[in-house]
Amino acid sequence: MTDISSGSLPLTTTDKVRASLAKRHRKQRILQAFGIAAISIAFLMLFILLWSQIATGYKAFMQTNITLDIFVDPAEIDVDRLPRGDFDDVLTAALLEKLPNVDVTDRAAVREASGIFSNGAQFDLRDRIVEDPSLIGQTINMRMPVSDPYDQLYKELLDRETPEELRRLNDVQIANYDQLLDAGAITSKLNTDLITNADSRFPELAGLKGALLGSFWALLVCFLVAFPLGIGAAVYLEEFAPKNKISDFIEVNINNLAAVPSVVFGLLALSVFIGWFGLPRSVPFVGGLTLALMTMPTIIIATRAALKAVPPSIREAALGVGASKQQVVFGHVVPLAMPGILTGTIIGLAQALGETAPLLLIGMNAFITSAPGTPFDSATALPTQIFIWADSPERGFVSRTSAAILVLLTFLIMMNAIAIYLRSKFERKW
Amino acid sequence: MTTLAFAILLAACMVAYALNRRAATGIRDGGQRLHSVSGYHGLFALLMILVPVLVVILLWLVLQGTVVNTLIMSSLPDGTLDGLGAGQVDLILAEIQSIASGRVFGEPEPWKVAAAERFSGMLQTASLGLVLVTALLCLGIMVFARSKVSAEFRARQGVEKIVSGLMIFCSVVAIFTTIGIVASLAFETIKFLRLVPLTEFLFGTSWEPQIPIRADQIASTGAFGWIPVIVGTIVITIVAIVIAIPIGLLSAIYLNEFAPKTVRSVCKPVLEVLAGVPTVVYGFFAILVVAPAIRTLGAQLGIPVAPNTALAAGGVMGIMLVPFISSFADDALSAVPRALRDGALALGATRAETVMNVLFPAAIPGIVGGVLLAVSRAIGETMIVVMAAGLMANLTLNPLESVTTVTVQIVTLLIGDTSFDNPKTLAAFALGMMLFIVTLIINIFALRIVRKYREAYD
Amino acid sequence: MDDLRTVSKDVDANNTKISAKNVQVYYGDTHAIKDVNVEIKERTVTAFIGPSGCGKSTFLRSINRMNDTIDICRVEGDIRIDGKDIYDRDVDPVQLRARVGMVFQKPNPFPKSIYDNIAYGPKIHGLAKTKAEMDEIVEKSLRRGAIWNEVKDRLHAPGTGLSGGQQQRLCIARAIATEPDVLLMDEPCSALDPIATSQVEELIDQLRESYTVVIVTHSMQQAARVSQKTAFFHLGNLVEYGNTDDIFTNPKDPRTESYISGRIG
Repeated sequence: MTDISSGSLPLTTTDKVRASLAKRHRKQRILQAFGIAAISIAFLMLFILLWSQIATGYKAFMQTNITLDIFVDPAEIDVDRLPRGDFDDVLTAALLEKLPNVDVTDRAAVREASGIFSNGAQFDLRDRIVEDPSLIGQTINMRMPVSDPYDQLYKELLDRETPEELRRLNDVQIANYDQLLDAGAITSKLNTDLITNADSRFPELAGLKGALLGSFWALLVCFLVAFPLGIGAAVYLEEFAPKNKISDFIEVNINNLAAVPSVVFGLLALSVFIGWFGLPRSVPFVGGLTLALMTMPTIIIATRAALKAVPPSIREAALGVGASKQQVVFGHVVPLAMPGILTGTIIGLAQALGETAPLLLIGMNAFITSAPGTPFDSATALPTQIFIWADSPERGFVSRTSAAILVLLTFLIMMNAIAIYLRSKFERKW
Repeated sequence: MTTLAFAILLAACMVAYALNRRAATGIRDGGQRLHSVSGYHGLFALLMILVPVLVVILLWLVLQGTVVNTLIMSSLPDGTLDGLGAGQVDLILAEIQSIASGRVFGEPEPWKVAAAERFSGMLQTASLGLVLVTALLCLGIMVFARSKVSAEFRARQGVEKIVSGLMIFCSVVAIFTTIGIVASLAFETIKFLRLVPLTEFLFGTSWEPQIPIRADQIASTGAFGWIPVIVGTIVITIVAIVIAIPIGLLSAIYLNEFAPKTVRSVCKPVLEVLAGVPTVVYGFFAILVVAPAIRTLGAQLGIPVAPNTALAAGGVMGIMLVPFISSFADDALSAVPRALRDGALALGATRAETVMNVLFPAAIPGIVGGVLLAVSRAIGETMIVVMAAGLMANLTLNPLESVTTVTVQIVTLLIGDTSFDNPKTLAAFALGMMLFIVTLIINIFALRIVRKYREAYD
Repeated sequence: MDDLRTVSKDVDANNTKISAKNVQVYYGDTHAIKDVNVEIKERTVTAFIGPSGCGKSTFLRSINRMNDTIDICRVEGDIRIDGKDIYDRDVDPVQLRARVGMVFQKPNPFPKSIYDNIAYGPKIHGLAKTKAEMDEIVEKSLRRGAIWNEVKDRLHAPGTGLSGGQQQRLCIARAIATEPDVLLMDEPCSALDPIATSQVEELIDQLRESYTVVIVTHSMQQAARVSQKTAFFHLGNLVEYGNTDDIFTNPKDPRTESYISGRIG
């Protein structure tokens, strides 16, 4: 540096510049450090968010089961009275065989012990016997989910050190459990019920089938409505609309619709679709219509961008051979823009899949224990199911909520991956 | 039966297409020159049938339920519905419907059974009518379209006119949606304002929406002053924005100016992931992780923190808005012409000085537009606050306390019982109206700033 | 305009200010500047001419290391100012650019007031301790930039509100406010009308008294009017370098001759 200042330059200027140089570079480093810190905070939050869901959610992918040899006592279950019968007594008897120190005559003790059964166990048994009445009088081996507190105990979420009066299981119950565990009756396996069961009051039985199908029907309706409407509007506005006040107004309108809070769409749906048209509450069809109105602006904006990217030379070439404007647009421009349109549509549908508030207002947060067969059956959707479970007081629903979130995020990641793949595969540089 | 109607429509479309196409081809083979190629003649017939008949079927399906219900209820013996509220009337209707579908609980009154029989009969008539109308319409239009086929007929122009009409309809749906929003909100809000005076709603400082259980109940109307609700919304919005702005802007500056290309290409998509997380997930994150963490921290510092403090909901909302603000700021910084950047660098400014003194001020309008859109999002954001903020209206500016928001009130007032005639339900619509107006004003303003800014540098 | 009328000016036998040896510049895989050697004299106007895309601007930008701001750009070889290698590791580009000012093709005033535009350089470099000192620097720079009389009454009006020619002179004034000893000009008149062009050219001629000026231009007439030395670039090579009079009246290389007689370019 001395070389520079010893030149013909007036010494003072360079010296002045050099005097503050270190400080200025320090300032730059500070700004950079702040920037890195800001990004790190954002990333850290994302990490904590995902990690907390995985850490609490992964346990719900396993379910603790109890396996018992059950003697289907003809004295309790009568072929002629099916499907009625004292299935719970049969179960309890099988359980007590494994627990010899429980006094059969002490009704309270028996009730405490049989609390290990999930509420659904007797119905599982009933369904099995109704299907095959010849089982009556035989001994069958059955594996059933245990109730939530025992599941928590197995997963070590229930602390044995907690004082007894604050615990959901008392010492006797834990002793019974340990006895069963030692006897090998308690096992844990992959929780397929989470996907194949519909909702239930009891965490150990609650599954996502209803929510998954509800979301599927809603998204299907949303796609069938929003996709053609969105493309039609975008093609018209981009290719045909005269540049006048009305077109401007429509455009401003669409941009504003894209920014209207989602809960307002819920109000619209509640008052117009349900209140005025008299469509039923809680059904995926109405949910899909509502989501379609919200998704349409996204599709329109993406489609217009994709149409804009098609160079005018292609239009001119087609017009030049005598094609009509519509033949040009539908024959050449729209097919060329299709990858972009599909990408935008998938991203719009992914947003719709995660949308919750409008579905709450049209009642898709109802408690429904059967999966919807058509878009007109009452149902929940994935995000509203998450909301319901997050609101439920039972401990078992906490991990199930996180598990449902993981399922939802998996679907979103898949949809976005498809969109990214489409974009990179068909991206064209003109 | 509905499926049958659609099947008839589909079949009619295909037959009409084939008929017209063959007719046109016949004319051409006869040696005459067609104005339009034969495919367009077919397409013309198809669209002529498809569009109107589909509209009729859909309208029929939408209106059928309402019409049948109204007819049934008005056909009930005189006096049955006297003095019943809307909820009870709905209950009777539901019972009649379930009897009609074969699910009988207990011993229903004979008039209900009779109504149920009439109900099934009407439904049958209605679906039969639908099929009949569909078939007749299809046939009629098919004959009409077939009669149009001639050498001179401008089938292509006809098709293009129909397609244009369809496209215009699609574009206008956006306007209909806006009109629908405004109309439905206004309609219920006016009903609400008949029960609660506007001044009380706008300036009242107490929000205790209650449903009167009996008409003569004392203090049955509750209190409907929205001030505590909007103040709560503002508190949470401020918390969110205070967190989102520095993090969002600094990360945008870093990514735009300092980050090596590889870092940038990794960080931007990860930030997008943050933007793609559904809000219900953020809400659960707030109650599962953030709120307990804040409470623990408060307890250690000896500060009392409410269980559902505004900090938790606002903080998580802030994180949600980070990618939003950062992408707007990134766009705005990138839009500043390279010449300005070069000018500053050539004067010997460091890159930090270039960003802070030249680029940032030049990008301010774009950034302000983005921040305003973020504010509007924060105000309208629902799930995070429904799950993590309070339910009780609490007039306070302290973010450690529990406050409620406009969106929380809308959702809680409408979840569960919703008949359209009590002030509780209507209040939700009035709040929705205010929410719509406030966000609309902010959005219009913000979009205009952003657009002006883009034009300035294009 | 009198075509190709070279203005005879005495070229002082000055010291070498900038010397470049074996300079190569790469843009990604493109070899943009090939082995350029040139010695630029102090207090002289040196013009770089050549057809577009010949690398003259690229070379100019490597003299104040503006190429550093482009990721894919790589400079090799040796460029010295007053004998000091400016690509040496201990040279801070920030400090270098304070000494080597630059004026761009399109006037690029900051969206700030005229005063703040001029004061920006001195402020960041800490050249003025007091408001009075700063006022003095601003006035001196604007006077040297030959725009003082036009803007002295509206120093706090935005710089972007001036006409194109005024904006460019403002940018020149901004560049000299940090007291550089070299001024690089990248086609400073290409976005200006003829009247503004002649004003800027006049200014460049005055600046010669205190600064070493290097100007890139695509107009041979301009090179002839304002410069004493001319370098002709073609396809990344420095084809010919010498006194402006000689280059225009008696080019040695056939390519130079073709260019100035209008056959290539």
